[in-house]
Amino acid sequence: MNNYLNLSIVELHNLLLKGEVKPSTLVLEAIEKCKNDEFNALEALNFDEALKKAYELDKKEVPSDNYFFGIPYIAKDNLSTKGLETTGGSNILKGYVPSFDATVISILNSLDAIMVAKSTLDELAMGGSGRSGHKGLQYNPFDKTKMHLIGGSSSGSAIVTAASYVPFALGSDTGDSIRKPASYGGLVGYKPTYGLISRFGLFPFSVSLDHIGYFTRSVEDAAILFDALNKYDENDYTSSLKERTKVCPLDEKEVKKVAVISEVISSIKDEKILNSFKNYVQELENRGVKVDYVNVDSNLLKAIYPSYIIISSAEATSNNANLDGVKFGNRKEGKTYQEVMFNTRNEGFGELIKRRFILGSYALMKENQEEVYLKAKRVRHAIVDTFNKILDEYDAFIAPAAPSVARKVNEDSDALDDTYLIADNYLAIGNFGGYPSITIPLGLKEGLPFGLSITSKIFADKKCFEVAKLSEDIIGLKGLSTSNIDEFIKEGK
Amino acid sequence: MKEVNKETLKIAAEKLLFDMEDSQYETLLNEFHVIIKQLELMDNIEDLSSYSPLSFPYVDESFSLLRDDEVIEETLLNKEEVLANAKEVRDGQIELPKVVG
Amino acid sequence: MNFEAIIGLEIHVEMKTKTKMFSSAPIRFKAEPNTNITYLDLAYPGSLPRLNKQGVINAIRVSHALHMSIDDTLYFDRKNYFYADLPKGYQITQQDRPIGKNGYLEIEVNDQKKKIGIERLHMEEDTAMQHHYSDYTLLDYNRVGIPLVEIVSLPEIRTGEEARKYVEKIKEIVTYLDVSDGKMENGSLRCDVNVSIRPFGSDKFGTKVEIKNLNSTANIEAAIDYEILRQSSLLIKGQEIAQETRRFDEAKKETVLMRVKTDAVDYKYFSEGNIPPVHLSQEFIRHAIETSNELYDQKLERFLNDYKLNDVDAKILLSSKELADYYDEAAKNTKLYQPLANFVISEVLGYLNKNNISIGEFNVKPNNISTLVEILNNKEINSKQGKDIFQKMIETNKDPLTLKNEMGATLITDKDKIRADVLEIISQNPTLPTDYKNGKTRALGFVMGLLMKKNRGKVEPNLANEIIKEELLK
Repeated sequence: MNNYLNLSIVELHNLLLKGEVKPSTLVLEAIEKCKNDEFNALEALNFDEALKKAYELDKKEVPSDNYFFGIPYIAKDNLSTKGLETTGGSNILKGYVPSFDATVISILNSLDAIMVAKSTLDELAMGGSGRSGHKGLQYNPFDKTKMHLIGGSSSGSAIVTAASYVPFALGSDTGDSIRKPASYGGLVGYKPTYGLISRFGLFPFSVSLDHIGYFTRSVEDAAILFDALNKYDENDYTSSLKERTKVCPLDEKEVKKVAVISEVISSIKDEKILNSFKNYVQELENRGVKVDYVNVDSNLLKAIYPSYIIISSAEATSNNANLDGVKFGNRKEGKTYQEVMFNTRNEGFGELIKRRFILGSYALMKENQEEVYLKAKRVRHAIVDTFNKILDEYDAFIAPAAPSVARKVNEDSDALDDTYLIADNYLAIGNFGGYPSITIPLGLKEGLPFGLSITSKIFADKKCFEVAKLSEDIIGLKGLSTSNIDEFIKEGK
Repeated sequence: MKEVNKETLKIAAEKLLFDMEDSQYETLLNEFHVIIKQLELMDNIEDLSSYSPLSFPYVDESFSLLRDDEVIEETLLNKEEVLANAKEVRDGQIELPKVVG
Repeated sequence: MNFEAIIGLEIHVEMKTKTKMFSSAPIRFKAEPNTNITYLDLAYPGSLPRLNKQGVINAIRVSHALHMSIDDTLYFDRKNYFYADLPKGYQITQQDRPIGKNGYLEIEVNDQKKKIGIERLHMEEDTAMQHHYSDYTLLDYNRVGIPLVEIVSLPEIRTGEEARKYVEKIKEIVTYLDVSDGKMENGSLRCDVNVSIRPFGSDKFGTKVEIKNLNSTANIEAAIDYEILRQSSLLIKGQEIAQETRRFDEAKKETVLMRVKTDAVDYKYFSEGNIPPVHLSQEFIRHAIETSNELYDQKLERFLNDYKLNDVDAKILLSSKELADYYDEAAKNTKLYQPLANFVISEVLGYLNKNNISIGEFNVKPNNISTLVEILNNKEINSKQGKDIFQKMIETNKDPLTLKNEMGATLITDKDKIRADVLEIISQNPTLPTDYKNGKTRALGFVMGLLMKKNRGKVEPNLANEIIKEELLK
């Protein structure tokens, strides 16, 4: 089988330009890989449409200024796709065929990128483990024995990028739903500044935390994709009116000063990860970047997770209240309208999100609002204020994206220890403040990847990419995928 | 916080229009015990009450654009499209068992 | 025991905008079901709200008319509940920060003015229309998302009559501002009433009873009056008043129980994350107010001062905004304000009443009415001819000058012809000049009568009068 799709978007574009491959070659390869999916990554398939479009593009001249012409990709199944079933990974939406495209899908369509399939996710993007969706578990493709998970909620999109079914895949990130699986999947995972990529067409989980983002296998690809999707959209009232500028070309020499949050590092116990991070920081300094260790009240950091789980669950109850089987979705019959709605929701929702909804509704109850929901939002404010101040001083703050490599299928963490509360959940800071935040591969441990997280201040997406590009050069895992990991291991990574 | 026990959780579920298995309420109750401990962590933050509840990542002038009162024809759905995703349809409308006040 | 009623009103007014409050779908009344719809109206996942500028402008105008302070930043919240007609499972509303606060309006009861305080005015959206049949309900989503303003009074209303006048005043304000049809019968103005009673002098509030489904101002008054009696007789009998929702039975003129209220519903309000706070500039707010239509009171003042109409006529013309606008339009083409008012009131209104149609269905252009009044006033035609022309104008839609020529509706102004006729009459009644000179003025009327008779009334009367005098005095 061909393995063109292990290349980056930029590399594929150059092959297309030179006429060495045709769009249909790429799409056929993507389809073949999707058909052989062993990691449970996919939802609705779009093979016929994709091929039709590829054959049309075969006949056209490849435009030199459009990187996305003829490039196959996969979209998370919480992005609305016109005419193609979109379920959000939930039985309640089985059979729902949207009548409109999400803005990101429309943009990629207009750029002649080719969507070959939808990828699965934790049910309605809640859960973060890659095991709560209606398709069951999503396995980490770096472990052929399927003992490890890829993580979620953008589990399917992480798999299809890591196993190079496609060179990029769209996802969404409410707490860390792109950046965490990117860490477990050795990927570049990006979440932009809030308000830059339109949320129109994204199934809402918690709207002031929800971001659309994506997976690629190089920082450069992530940056050009950002330039394509970074557009004002009148359909999204939270779309920023700020004038948009391109982040490319990136200039790593612009990176001057980064911060490391000491309390995040000290909550990590994995020696391998700490070592890789230390070596990387050393090399940053060698290249003339000032690295400061900054202290943040650990009480504040430990409150991130409770604050996140309360805000997101509370708002999720409301955001999913439209799922009642009346207008669309998998209606179950009943004798009264209440029974119809009850049966639909009762049979349609999985256990985990039912628990989240109950938690969320508790937080919103009149007698609890101040003590729970509003307090969580005050915590959010305290955290955002703190990190705004830090990010005003630095190009970014950096830390390992997670305290471990991918979780085992049946592994759970201790929900009350610092490693979990801080290192496993601090990425939500990026959602609290709407910051641009990226994960890139940092190292490998027993054949499983772990990532580095870089977060910059709002609207400093360019800076975030530049820190990432410099870091990618230092770390040397650019282009990592399941098909080339052995070469990297041989190099001693 | 309103008392949390299996009974109150079940009532909360009913209001959300679903139910769970008994064992699932057990799981949830245990989860609540953990979350309540996690919530207590919020009380360790100094001066928390001086922060207002934050509803948006940031708010600036860049959002405040009111929409002109004009129909956007391209986004209108025709009747067939409206009904296409509804399971029960009658006389061009979506049907439910009789709704009584 | 004597009781005092405490009455609070919540009024929902449907705004007359081209599109919905948060979506760009059109608002078209009486459209085929489920044809005025876009993604948000069905709460499709991923659809997002966008705020309608005109909806905001309308809310500002009503707030201003109700003397409210207007918030310069808009905040929206979600009211969460499940219901068959609520597609999103929540309604977007303004719970924490209504756009209008602390206003009042003035009503007149027993020739006394009374101010009724208004607590708040907020913007929200309408739900789907339910059509109930024998054993099923059909849902039409055309109404989903139509902008509403909810106006909540302070509990300062004391009688059914006051409540009726309060609602009539609101209706007058929203129709004069042209922000709503304000029709209770169509549901574009809806009113929920809270009634409680307490012994005079008490400062505690009694148990509130809510009355719903009131479809006319008369019913509001009747329902409240009934409810006050019902509650009073319960208290006199020593019985408790239950917290409940009742509706008005129009046939029996009674309120009947709909449901007993158990726990208050917890709507789990929280801020709407898809609509960040919107700052309104002072310029925007001022412009919305300055460009708004005249209110009734302003129009009345203008009719009295500028048109110098008498109070009775002005109020008749202002009995509907459409009629007032019609008069205003006609008045642009003439200075004969009072004659115009007389004509509009007696002829136009008479015609409308006789045929039971509204001014909106009356096809004669206002400027044609002013022309007709002008030629009547100039005595180019007489009132009989005026009526005939008016009738023809309605039938043919032609302008009065054309009709005047076509119908030969002119008066004789040829002096020689008139003099010849007058001389002929005098020659047949030779004593008349002497009588006249001796002070018998009716001789003049006598000649005029014969002259008109001879010419079937079509002699210009001023001219005729002049000539008759001359000849009688010769």
